[in-house]
Amino acid sequence: MSPDPTAPTSHAHSAPGVRVRGLTVVYKTPMGELPAVSNVDLTLAPGTITGVVGESGSGKSTLALCLLNAVQPPGRIAAGSVEIDGLGDVVELGGEELRRARGRHVGYVFQAAQNSLNPLKTIGKQLLDLGRSHGVADLRALVRDAKDLLARMGMDGARVLDSYQHELSGGMRQRVGIMLALVLNARVVVLDEPTTALDMITQATILRIVREVHDERGLTTLVITHDVGAVAEVADDLAVMYGGRVVEHGPVKEVLGDPRHPYTQGLIRAIPRLSGDIGEARALPGRPPTLGTLPAAGCVFRERCDRRMDVCDTVEPVALTRDGRTVACHAAAEDADRRLTAARRKEFA
Amino acid sequence: MTATLRVRARSKTSPTSSASPKAVVRRVAGHVARGLVMIWVVATISFVIIREIPGDPVRGQYESLIQKGMSPEQAERATAVLYGFLPTGSLWEQYLGYMNSLLHFDLGRSLSTPGVEVTTLIGSAARWTVLPVLAGTLLSFLLGVIMGVYAAIKRSGRLGDVLALSGSLLHGVPVYVIGLLLTAIFATLWPIMPSGGPVDVEHVPGLNPGYLGSLAHHAVLPVVTYTLASYGGWILAMKSNVVAVLGDDFILAAELRGLKRGIVFRYIARNAILPLFTILALSIGMLFGGSIFIEQIFNYPGLGLLLVGSISSRDYALMGGTFLVITIGIVVANIVADLLYTAIDPRVRSGGSA
Repeated sequence: MSPDPTAPTSHAHSAPGVRVRGLTVVYKTPMGELPAVSNVDLTLAPGTITGVVGESGSGKSTLALCLLNAVQPPGRIAAGSVEIDGLGDVVELGGEELRRARGRHVGYVFQAAQNSLNPLKTIGKQLLDLGRSHGVADLRALVRDAKDLLARMGMDGARVLDSYQHELSGGMRQRVGIMLALVLNARVVVLDEPTTALDMITQATILRIVREVHDERGLTTLVITHDVGAVAEVADDLAVMYGGRVVEHGPVKEVLGDPRHPYTQGLIRAIPRLSGDIGEARALPGRPPTLGTLPAAGCVFRERCDRRMDVCDTVEPVALTRDGRTVACHAAAEDADRRLTAARRKEFA
Repeated sequence: MTATLRVRARSKTSPTSSASPKAVVRRVAGHVARGLVMIWVVATISFVIIREIPGDPVRGQYESLIQKGMSPEQAERATAVLYGFLPTGSLWEQYLGYMNSLLHFDLGRSLSTPGVEVTTLIGSAARWTVLPVLAGTLLSFLLGVIMGVYAAIKRSGRLGDVLALSGSLLHGVPVYVIGLLLTAIFATLWPIMPSGGPVDVEHVPGLNPGYLGSLAHHAVLPVVTYTLASYGGWILAMKSNVVAVLGDDFILAAELRGLKRGIVFRYIARNAILPLFTILALSIGMLFGGSIFIEQIFNYPGLGLLLVGSISSRDYALMGGTFLVITIGIVVANIVADLLYTAIDPRVRSGGSA
């Protein structure tokens, strides 16, 4: 398979869409069941890369695991659905059906340089385990595909398959993880912090590979990260999570260029720039909420918000979608109304 | 339990996942050299300690003969005839003589069983120790590992609690209490088992069913005692290892890749059992010390009993010989454990300069 950069989205028509609706995940704690993800709606358009950013504990990894119905105890999916084209509602799947869907339909790439590989087996043997688990008849072809994929990512396939995990560097392991997620031709790929703990150069390489393979194979990709820069480079769409909610979602250039939710605005202000004064970067005041400190009513962000209003204390803002941008914020809704009226007035004038 | 020898060697670049034969030979040679030094040191220490502890059986014999009215010359001759030799010379000369005979695998003659070679005594005692203790060790290992996996998987349920509790309980009860309890129950209250001895005397030794059956029958209680006594350690170690591996990322990753349960289980088991092999090899090495309590209780003429007997009768040669055998057992077990690790853990294998 030779990549043709001029026709990057040749498979895009076959990429599956993913629709998350009303998803709520709770964790059992001594204080009762607390929500890590609350009533999340998120649509991944077929053939796009959607980035999810948020601070630690914002629920982004939990959301990622939901795409494989793999929330680990003491957590559980309490409500909602995750519809994947060609697979149905993943939340309803269980047992063997679920096991077969994992790896075959939805590929999952673990955090970089972490131990996502069995230390006692060569990569090749683990690849064969994967093939046998999914009833792959032609294991030779599987190995060939794996070698192609590894070569595609700039590695010597035969040598990597003969290696143990400890013989590979962090970046190499990460690429092996991507290979294992793709080798069964999964069309939905979830990458959980794919570049965390990698150096800048390797980060850039991995992101480029993600983008290329995504385009080449016509995938629908979800990238979880806390690195806004990484997302800007690779994603089409961006979802911002805070306190278990998706507070803003839209095309990545618009969300980053013209953030509407106060949290997104704060997040972008907090990024230090290469050019300009380092003092211009402003950290968000306060701390992100934990499971125990999430307010029961009202907006979850109001404690740290510079545009807090009375209504924020009592009413949780609903996610409103206007011109392709989804924002869940009372103040942002007001802004939007004002813009609309101003635009109308201009029209009449 | 002794510390594990787990060496996590990391080499990021090497494609040599299997060590060359030359490297293996060098590794083994290094181990053997270190082992020999170890044995020499222990032999020297035990030689000095044994000679320096008060009480001298030859001297005692000599003096008691004089008290019986012999002349010193007569007494000396009689003692020499009895033991076949008389210790002469300075400590240093004795040490050199001892080392010289060690090099010829000559451990000397026993003093408490006059005239018999120490190697003969140890050899016949080893027969009674090695098989039962080996059987007990392997049995408890097998049982403990399997139950440990269950205890870990079912750790939030009742079965897990019961298994973990059985481990802690048996780990805490001293081996002689278990032994005495078992004899009390199965040899006294409900006498279906012999209370002691290695075999019934009426059978002719040899490969006949009566003799072998009697051997097995007599071995049951010692083996069960040994198994129960060491089972607790295995189940607790295995359980904690499995729980640790269950929390490892690669297990979740394997599940998220949709690997079959059986394969994931093998991933868990193999990673969890690895550290236990070192302990297993070491405890097999320790078995040459015999199990003093078990051999006492069941009147088994094994190495443990031999050691105790040699100490109480101040039998230098036998003591030194027994210590030496225990030392060699442990040193060899260490080497075997390390080589075993090399064979089963690729991380150790490729780290040449670990």
